[in-house]
Amino acid sequence: MSQITTEKYKDEAKRAIKNPVLQDALSNLQERLGKGAVEAYKNLPEGHRLRIEAHDIRMNAIENLDVLLKSLAENVRRNGGHVYFAEDALSAVSHCLEIARKHNVKTAVKGKSMLTEEIGLNRSLEAAGIEVVETDLGEYIVQLAGEHPSHIIAPAIHKTRKEIGKLFSEKLLIHYTDDPPALTRAARKALRDKFLAADMGISGCNLACAETGHITTVSNEGNIRMSTTLPKVHVAFMGMERVVAGLNDYDVLFRLLPRAAAAQNMATYISYIGGPCHKDQVDGPEEFHLIIIDNGRTKILADEEFREILCCIRCAACLNVCPVYRKIGGHSYGYPYCGPVGSVVTPLLVGINRAKDLCLGEMLCGACKEVCPVNIDIPKMLLGLRAKLADGDRKWNVTRASLVEKALYKTWSWLIRNRWTYDLFLRLAYFSQKFLPQKGGMIRRLPPPLHGWTGKRDILPISIETFKQRAKRINLNP
Amino acid sequence: MNFSDQNRFINNVRKALGRSPGHKSSLQEIFSIKTVDESRELYEKIKTRTSTQRQKLLSRLINESKTVNLNVICLKNATSVSTSIAGLVREKEPEWGSRKSLTAWEHPLIEKLKLTEVLADRNVPVFCSKLRNNKEAVRDRNTEKMQIRKHVIDSYIGVTSADFCIADTATLVMKTRPGQGRLVSIVPSIHIAVIELKQILGNLKELFILLQHDPKEKSEGLTNCMTFISGPSKTADIEATLVHGAHGPREVYLYVITGR
Ligand code: SF4
Repeated sequence: MSQITTEKYKDEAKRAIKNPVLQDALSNLQERLGKGAVEAYKNLPEGHRLRIEAHDIRMNAIENLDVLLKSLAENVRRNGGHVYFAEDALSAVSHCLEIARKHNVKTAVKGKSMLTEEIGLNRSLEAAGIEVVETDLGEYIVQLAGEHPSHIIAPAIHKTRKEIGKLFSEKLLIHYTDDPPALTRAARKALRDKFLAADMGISGCNLACAETGHITTVSNEGNIRMSTTLPKVHVAFMGMERVVAGLNDYDVLFRLLPRAAAAQNMATYISYIGGPCHKDQVDGPEEFHLIIIDNGRTKILADEEFREILCCIRCAACLNVCPVYRKIGGHSYGYPYCGPVGSVVTPLLVGINRAKDLCLGEMLCGACKEVCPVNIDIPKMLLGLRAKLADGDRKWNVTRASLVEKALYKTWSWLIRNRWTYDLFLRLAYFSQKFLPQKGGMIRRLPPPLHGWTGKRDILPISIETFKQRAKRINLNP
Repeated sequence: MNFSDQNRFINNVRKALGRSPGHKSSLQEIFSIKTVDESRELYEKIKTRTSTQRQKLLSRLINESKTVNLNVICLKNATSVSTSIAGLVREKEPEWGSRKSLTAWEHPLIEKLKLTEVLADRNVPVFCSKLRNNKEAVRDRNTEKMQIRKHVIDSYIGVTSADFCIADTATLVMKTRPGQGRLVSIVPSIHIAVIELKQILGNLKELFILLQHDPKEKSEGLTNCMTFISGPSKTADIEATLVHGAHGPREVYLYVITGR
């Protein structure tokens, strides 16, 4: 399993906000990609309508997942591939280890896959003595630095060219340079040797096709094509929700995905991979394995309130517009999935109490929903999670986040539903606020448990004149 | 194969979906119901394109190719294409070694280029990604495959054709067949693709319509690897700066044989 550090959300967020370099990088990213995606949608003949259509396609797949997975498995096997169903991270990893052992694998090259981060694949393979090389440039940088990705599609966005230059000069033994083309060339050279030597290629799966039995991979760099063609074994990892019914569904989804992810009309490489090399073909892996993973997803599927999040195609568009992500960056979220999508998925996967700060931290502005290529209502689900934290929930094993808060709101709700008690409360509050520290006509500090409100700001005192009295007065003397 | 894992897994999914025990449904029922008539109509439209319409698609392709840094070169016939390729071979230097060599697909269009002859006097070998079919070769497929792999790795230019080219996004679409290796379009530093005008399609939708309605495409299927390629390999992973030539080809040239 991947390390879970969701408890450190607040501390990490504070650290990120104080890091000026990261702040620059994040706003840069959002200005380019976030705004770019919105622009790219505008050029679609169908406009935003296409996102609604994409939502329907994905929802249709999710609601028929049992049939789709069965067909997919049958068709992949018909194409000569092997299929495994893994209920949790451990069994997914052990399937991969077994394949590696059988082929006596020494080096594996990997395309970027958040799912393999989720199941902590690299650590397990390395523990078994296998060298695992991340080949997406961003992932490679992050791996060399011994860090974790901070963005779903731009994993090294938190690193400056100077840092990367220093890293490469130490690890790749090249002369220091901070020129992106020169650094890219250095990585290209180093990784080419790895590609040629590797005996296993590992990839994720973007959206598999149940009808034909193919997985799809998407990249701009070409690293996934190299990883899935050169080594003699290809192992693909797929979250169980990443499948669509048939070829008809791709037109809409593959027009939206690159726009959402990178403001491109089309990704440089998309491959439909179905099965190993045939006897009469010259290249491609001798074996193809597909590992389909649950790891907590059926639980999400069973809850109609959150089922929709399984439509997600991990494009990262919501990260690129989120005002919270823009400030705190990906590492604060403490799990491979960050930003708005992470704030919903992570609590559902690792525990709502444990990751409560993630859904409490987002601010419900709605930007994520507007940009999501499959129109997922993330704000609604954030509210749903918050409701569970407020009231507790047996099904999700949630304990109430704060009893005091609940008691306060209960009292407040009772108070304001009764005119007489409300007026009395205001009167009392009006007289007792005189004992609170004030400055320039504003209250500086409220007593506990209300002190949070005045932690960063002053508030206006309660007026002697009620709203009703005031309305009457103004109406009488217009 | 462990089917008990699969059955348990899929049963969990069924439970989560709240399926009743007897519930049955087939893939066909699930296909998002799009009007079949509409796609038939579009299929007819693709199949009956006039040459003026094709020219229009070509202009669209040329326009789009600029966004993805794809070099489109339109020439009348195979002879002028091979002359132009010979020019590229003269001008471009290898990235990894010092020796120039090419690997090309076994494909009727590529054979017409007679690259081996054209490049012979420059002493540039042209290898073919094709398995020989004589007896010893069949007995020792692995050695032969390793040989071809080595040629591709050593080649600084890979020459392929494509099944289609999508004008809207400047995307080459290629399936995998004997003699038409996957490595040829990804490992060499320069990728050259040669197609004919009639292979250009309007958009992604047209491709999926053809794959589903054209009898030949349907019976062949997607093959074990169908790849879309839109321009050269690129990355923006260092401070979001765009750089071409991440792992795949740094340059891609598309020759369109227009026939006039
Ligand atoms: S929630 Fe939507 S925008 Fe966010 S990663 Fe998923 S598909 Fe993309």
